[in-house]
Amino acid sequence: MRLDVNDHAYELHCEVGTTLAEALRDELSLTGTKIACGEGHCGACTVLVDGAPVLSCITLAHAVGDAKVTTIEGLREHPMLRSFVRADALQCGFCTPGQVVSAVALVEARPEPTTEEIRHAMAGNLCRCGAYPKIEEAIRTWRD
Amino acid sequence: MELRQASDTTVDGVPIHGGTEVVPLLRAGLLRAETLVDIRGVVSRGVADGRIGAGVPLAEIECDPQVPEVLREACRLAASPQLRNMGSLGGNLLQATRCWYWRLNWPCRLHDGDECFAREGEHREHAIFANDFCASAHPSDVAAALLALDATLTTSRRELPLAGLYRLPTDDDRRTTTLDPGELILDVRYDKPDASVYLKAMERKRWAFPLVGVAAVRRGATTRVALAGVAPIPWLLDGFESAAPLPRNAYKVDVAKALVKRATAAVAG
Repeated sequence: MRLDVNDHAYELHCEVGTTLAEALRDELSLTGTKIACGEGHCGACTVLVDGAPVLSCITLAHAVGDAKVTTIEGLREHPMLRSFVRADALQCGFCTPGQVVSAVALVEARPEPTTEEIRHAMAGNLCRCGAYPKIEEAIRTWRD
Repeated sequence: MELRQASDTTVDGVPIHGGTEVVPLLRAGLLRAETLVDIRGVVSRGVADGRIGAGVPLAEIECDPQVPEVLREACRLAASPQLRNMGSLGGNLLQATRCWYWRLNWPCRLHDGDECFAREGEHREHAIFANDFCASAHPSDVAAALLALDATLTTSRRELPLAGLYRLPTDDDRRTTTLDPGELILDVRYDKPDASVYLKAMERKRWAFPLVGVAAVRRGATTRVALAGVAPIPWLLDGFESAAPLPRNAYKVDVAKALVKRATAAVAG
């Protein structure tokens, strides 16, 4: 099968039933995408598929087809990363890749989101350290 | 396991669209499949006046101004942004209960066993109506909205009112839907309401299943109210006399009454 990830075309072999998160991490060594709950609740595994945030831990790798996948590794140069660092928007950091991916999708669609829009768009990314106020700040000030 | 692309609406295998329910159930061993059939290519994704393709993701319905408020709000308050990007309208209607005994594969009545563990056990989030045989609660906000809208479904085999999609499980038939194996929901139609609203009580403010969801739709002088999270299937409200709460979920009756009062006031002409 083929996967288009971060503008690279990869050839890989995995069984049907393998999730996109497993394929990214175990086959392509793109371990920036985290698996936490593994059942679609927490958002740590969020990646973009054709620009929309989806949960890679419950997406079948074989169902991705020709869609373009963007992982945290593909967002290295995005100002949102620096903004998370600047705002100190994390503690343990495990949820951070997913947070950044969701945040990037939000500001690409709405460069100046309101607080309500930020909370609505980020509701699917849980942070057990409770860094939410700083995450909100990072998104609010991403272009500073 | 193999994954095939559907070439038409005759499906021989387990249909999969967004996968938000099918994949977790497969991984938990609650659903078994030799063949998965990807139906995204054969189920409509269009939204037109009074008609929505079953393949439209909730995220699109949520912000489409043609869609009645009750359905938009039910979509907006359902699940998380990622799940709304993935999950389709048709799939949402077919989601399984969140009953923890069922999800943990206890041999309950929905798993063809002979006991409802929730009735004697932990049932804070369970059904307050029609819970005698099985106390599971139906989690679909969208189904409650469509039931209040008195929507009609077209499947690959027939047309039916939304209410006809669901059935209460019984001793001789444990299913909660009337869909045959391989039958696909293709689209949903409804008449425009004069006013409509969806109100939802949750354990937290966002991204939670409904403790109680209340959909109210008014056309002329008639208001139709349907509830999510209160019965094993989406529940068309016909008063509270038939409510039979369990010891630890009686609060749901109060919550439902309050939300119904607010919702009917909000749609009053």
